[in-house]
Amino acid sequence: MKIIAMLSRLVGFLALAALIVWSFVGMEIDRAHLPTGVAAGFSFVGRMIPHGKADFRYDLSLRDQIMQPLLDTIQMAVVGTVAGAIMAFPMSFFAARTSVFPRSLSAAIKSYLNVSRAIPTIVYALIILSAIGLGKTAGSIAIGYVTFISLSKLYAEALESVSQGPIDAVRASGGNSVQVFVYGMMPQVFPHYLATSLYSFEYNLKDSFIVGIVGAGGLGAQLLDSIHEFKLLDTGVIIALLIVLVNVVDYCSYRVRAVFS
Amino acid sequence: MPDAIVIKQLAHTYRGGAPVLHGLDLTIAEGEFVGLIGLSGAGKSTLLRCINGLITPTGGSCIVLGEAVEKMPESERRLLRRRIGMIFQEFNLVDRLTVLKNVLIGRLGYLPTLSSCLHRFPASDVSLARECLAQVGLTEFEGRRVRDLSGGQKQRVAVARTIAQGAKIILADEATANLDVLTKDEIMDLLKDLVRDTGATVLFSMHDIALARRYCTRIIGLKNGAITFDAAPDQLDDAAVADVLARAEHGAMK
Ligand SMILES: Nc1ncnc2c1ncn2[C@@H]1O[C@H](COP(=O)(O)OP(=O)(O)OP(=O)(O)O)[C@@H](O)[C@H]1O
Ligand SMILES: [Mg+2]
Repeated sequence: MKIIAMLSRLVGFLALAALIVWSFVGMEIDRAHLPTGVAAGFSFVGRMIPHGKADFRYDLSLRDQIMQPLLDTIQMAVVGTVAGAIMAFPMSFFAARTSVFPRSLSAAIKSYLNVSRAIPTIVYALIILSAIGLGKTAGSIAIGYVTFISLSKLYAEALESVSQGPIDAVRASGGNSVQVFVYGMMPQVFPHYLATSLYSFEYNLKDSFIVGIVGAGGLGAQLLDSIHEFKLLDTGVIIALLIVLVNVVDYCSYRVRAVFS
Repeated sequence: MPDAIVIKQLAHTYRGGAPVLHGLDLTIAEGEFVGLIGLSGAGKSTLLRCINGLITPTGGSCIVLGEAVEKMPESERRLLRRRIGMIFQEFNLVDRLTVLKNVLIGRLGYLPTLSSCLHRFPASDVSLARECLAQVGLTEFEGRRVRDLSGGQKQRVAVARTIAQGAKIILADEATANLDVLTKDEIMDLLKDLVRDTGATVLFSMHDIALARRYCTRIIGLKNGAITFDAAPDQLDDAAVADVLARAEHGAMK
């Protein structure tokens, strides 16, 4: 028995090692061109960064062009996250293995969630775009759906990890099922719900950039255009905005989580 | 005195496990202070959980305050449980909530659902909860979160929560196990006063034989899922203790 267990562990380890080696070898890195390639990369990035007053003035002049798509991006992330979270909340109760509903229902919902999760947001965006046309509504729906799927699963996992003790305590003092939920379960799952929702908002900010690339609204389209048209200063501004935005949100979410830990 | 608890042929087997209780008979009158002793794993907690219906036994019957618990649907058990307080062995407090909120959980059975969702307790409940906290010596801790307390402090919050419930029967599962000698006596005195003043009935599982002898009006020994000792504390001599706390002889060891 022990030998079989050890052997299967060894096989698993070797398979993992082989996968990693194969992936790196598959990169087909051209050693001869590596130095020039790296230099080209640096120069590409270098040209995104403003040099001198004229460049800065140009960056500032982009304000009017970029402001609206930036706000669209933020709106899409907010609407997608909020709508997705609201829908995921009830769904997680059906999806949790430990719920009062039959096991088969939760298993069916879990498989549906897993299938849906395997598909990237951009694919949903393309499908919805073809149905309702270009614009940020399509992006919001795609992001909302993906958020709904992933939060349903994460909320359900939080519910599954709840400890029985506080639930028993509320039941033992004569509490009804609503009170069991509010006092026995909510205090346990709330920090998880909050943390996963905030994390999902950060993720959605990046996603709402990406869906813009296929025309679902937001800054993604500008990003792609600027690279194609070789306006690298524009690219630099857009990327800088993304970095600032994600980090501001990250900091705020850290503070909020600390308050509700 | 009328009977508080009447147990007939109680049997319980956890799913996939060996029988824990079998053919257990026990009658406890109102106002008794009963100590329940037995080895770890003897089934003390299981017995207590059958009495308030957190577990539905696989056989037999528990008639508590005149009502057969195992026959009741959950909605009726809920009403009965308001009159049965339980101090859990593992405290079962809500770590993220404050000490005062945890004590107020003992009042939930009497609170309308909507008010409880909004965390709105009547002023009388809040002052009662504060009194109970004072009785266990935790007045200054009311605003602290439970997760920041020591083990013994948590245990006392659990005691306060159960006292706040104002129950007719108190099931105390090793409710002083984490306390020092002095605090143990304070908690036992508290329960004793409750029995004297309100006619409550206490069923207290414990490992501390000396404490059981001092406070209980009756001691029950649980062994191999059945009662093997049931008498007044002065009858519990060292031989009787040794018998209750002896390991079951293993078939293969004979
Ligand atoms: N939820 C459960 N599922 C399965 N078996 C359980 C469960 N709870 C308890 N048991 C088993 O039932 C038996 C009795 O447990 P119980 O908790 O009633 O003992 P106890 O007398 O309270 O012990 P202790 O003094 O250690 O608290 C033990 O063998 C235990 O492993
Ligand atoms: Mg126990």
